[in-house]
Amino acid sequence: MLKHLTQFYRPASVEEACALLAARDRRNVALAGGTNIAAVNDSTIEGLVDLSGLDLSYIRRTSDGYAIGAMTPVQDIFKSAILTGPAGQLLRSASGRIGSTLLRHAVTAGGNLVALFPWSDLPPALLVLDAQAVCRRGVPKRTVSVKNMIDAGPRHFLQPGEILTEIQVPEFGLGTGVAFRKMSRTHNDYALMTVAVRITLQGDEVKEARIALNAVCKKAQRRSDAEKQLENMVPTPERIASAAAAAVHDLDMTTDFRASREYREEVLPVLVRRCIDEALHQARS
Amino acid sequence: MNVTMTINGTKRTFDIDPRTLLLDLLRENGYKSIKKGCGEGSCGACAVLINGRPKTSCLQFAAQCEGATITTAEGLGTPDHPHPLQTAFVRHGATQCGYCNPGSLIAAKALLDANPHPTAEEVREALDGNLCRCTGYVKRIEAVLDVASGGKKA
Repeated sequence: MLKHLTQFYRPASVEEACALLAARDRRNVALAGGTNIAAVNDSTIEGLVDLSGLDLSYIRRTSDGYAIGAMTPVQDIFKSAILTGPAGQLLRSASGRIGSTLLRHAVTAGGNLVALFPWSDLPPALLVLDAQAVCRRGVPKRTVSVKNMIDAGPRHFLQPGEILTEIQVPEFGLGTGVAFRKMSRTHNDYALMTVAVRITLQGDEVKEARIALNAVCKKAQRRSDAEKQLENMVPTPERIASAAAAAVHDLDMTTDFRASREYREEVLPVLVRRCIDEALHQARS
Repeated sequence: MNVTMTINGTKRTFDIDPRTLLLDLLRENGYKSIKKGCGEGSCGACAVLINGRPKTSCLQFAAQCEGATITTAEGLGTPDHPHPLQTAFVRHGATQCGYCNPGSLIAAKALLDANPHPTAEEVREALDGNLCRCTGYVKRIEAVLDVASGGKKA
């Protein structure tokens, strides 16, 4: 319940939305799909700024990949016919695991990134794809890496009056493989563990390895130590096992009513290893 | 504040508090097919079509639906002229206590509008957000496939 909500704004332009969010005399909050805000108790929110009238729902091809509007429902990403390469496949896989069909029609790409819950499925996929986020503060615009945004915490990263408008994802050609695994009690449930992997080969060697996790920690993160164990090497079963172990090493693992820390520590390296195997298999084929 | 939406073909304007959820607005105005189950988007008993998209009305502010076209189970058919999906649900025994039916019918309609000839897997996926407390999951899938096949699978 938003006890002190008194205003609901429907801006028709990004500039207008940003001006409303920059207001100093009241706390206005951006509203994307609404699946989070409609259910929270927050008595500090006084105004909601509905972003649905800003024409930010689209998926487009760009010269090096895809541009996804921040207000695009994740169901549209899941079912998109233009997301065809390895990056597109990973985006579709991750989006398809968000909640149920009914929720996927409401949850937006931008909302899933900015709200950034431990169980958010899209952020780890965006991390391994080296995605970029376009943020606007009225007319001024900056394009930043999704990794920087997530590391800082999106809500802190965005300045007052600034909104995420677009997510840009590069596509990768032959020699790249991806994998996404979400482990949950039921298909629709919140994730117990989420793993996203991208491997880009150059000849027999791994040129780029990206391993990102979520649900096992407070927020989505890349595991650089594990990635380094694979990069510039010919991947062998021993190196893959070692990278999978490194992905879990020194991780501040979550323990909650869904699964204990010990359970996650046991299962997570297996998921990471399987994701690396799957991505490598795809990269070689 | 005012919000205007077209519900089951009728344009209506409501004077609402901005906190009002679509679920509550619809129920208070007579659309009782919509049920409040979990109130957190997990059960699908409150599903409605908003501009053709099936969504949980419990996680939607009514104010978000300005100018929207809403379809509830009341808008699908009448007792004298039921929608083919409603007929199939009855014929296949896909209704037990009935609590999940309005939401399941809405999700099924959204599927068939977009994909008139789905596979069984596609039907399962489309109905994955509609819990049935009677566990009548198989019969409703058969009912939807029946409609999709034009009655050939009956």
